[in-house]
Amino acid sequence: MKHPREDLTALLDGALPASRVSEVREHLARCPSCREEAEGLRAAVAALAALPPAPELPPFFATRLEARLREERPSRPALSAASLLSRLGTAIPYPRLFALAAGAAALSLAVGIPMRSWLDTRAMVRDLDLLQDYETASALGVDSPEDALIVAQLDRLEPGEGRR
Amino acid sequence: MGPDPDAALMLAFQQGDEGAFRTLYERYARPMFAFCHHLVRDAARAEELAQDVFVNLYRARDRYRPKARFRTFLYRVASNHCLNELRRPGPSSSRALGQDEGAADPDSLPSDAAGPEEQARGKALESAVRKLLARLPEKQRAALVLCRFEGLSYEEIAEVLHTTLPAVKSLVHRATVAAAEALAPFEAGSFEEALP
Repeated sequence: MKHPREDLTALLDGALPASRVSEVREHLARCPSCREEAEGLRAAVAALAALPPAPELPPFFATRLEARLREERPSRPALSAASLLSRLGTAIPYPRLFALAAGAAALSLAVGIPMRSWLDTRAMVRDLDLLQDYETASALGVDSPEDALIVAQLDRLEPGEGRR
Repeated sequence: MGPDPDAALMLAFQQGDEGAFRTLYERYARPMFAFCHHLVRDAARAEELAQDVFVNLYRARDRYRPKARFRTFLYRVASNHCLNELRRPGPSSSRALGQDEGAADPDSLPSDAAGPEEQARGKALESAVRKLLARLPEKQRAALVLCRFEGLSYEEIAEVLHTTLPAVKSLVHRATVAAAEALAPFEAGSFEEALP
């Protein structure tokens, strides 16, 4: 049997077929040169295993990735500020509009949604969602900031929640 | 191949389920960052590369077909990307490997709990491994990292590197021989104790 050099590493890694394991072990028992080489390989594997583990994920890894993925998402049709205000203005009187916007923003901050929904497309298009909320509020005849808050969070409410 | 829940998640993501992508991110962000770090030995570069892997995964969702286990598929994406990037001439690739940065990557040093002697030994070992990886041919480097640090089997490495089992056996062996020469000063223990 010639020196089974490549088999020595595979033997260490448990990657040799059982039949071959016994052949290589028998060879090692009578070949000082292969024993020496095997010893060096074993030591290298042990030294590599002694390396410190890779560091933890860097802080803000997810945040930075989220920002990059946001650029990958297909954008919704753009709305100009003028057309947005024009559409909103016809649907809801301005004082009520400001109450709705303030209430939705406050609730969003209070429940920490921006931190939790980094991959949530709804969070990515919050401005458009707000518009949809206004339209829903208008269609439902909502006339108080409290009702507007519930409308703004309709898609996050559990069944039965929010009923009075 | 048995059922692969990660492949099912990737298919769900393909159908528009972004929550499935998030689950895959939660499972693989740390392993991918660690893999990239093992390959380039530089935390900032590893972060950039690991993020690229997820962006590439996101972009490739429509082309995904579950031919292999998702885990090996992802390691393949990461290996190809890291090796391509390391091949590129430029300051970032030369910074990542081959230069002895001393304490440039403090995250990878042993913890403060280690004594000064252990810390010095850890730094020297880190430096020796960095130099070893820098001079290995790229497939040997990838095979060594996948085998020694990521714990992939020879069969999985063959899938990741898109090569045969005998080729992996040879790649891992040659890389380990090179490691034996480079890391001789750090030896400990005996061959018999190490056998599975």
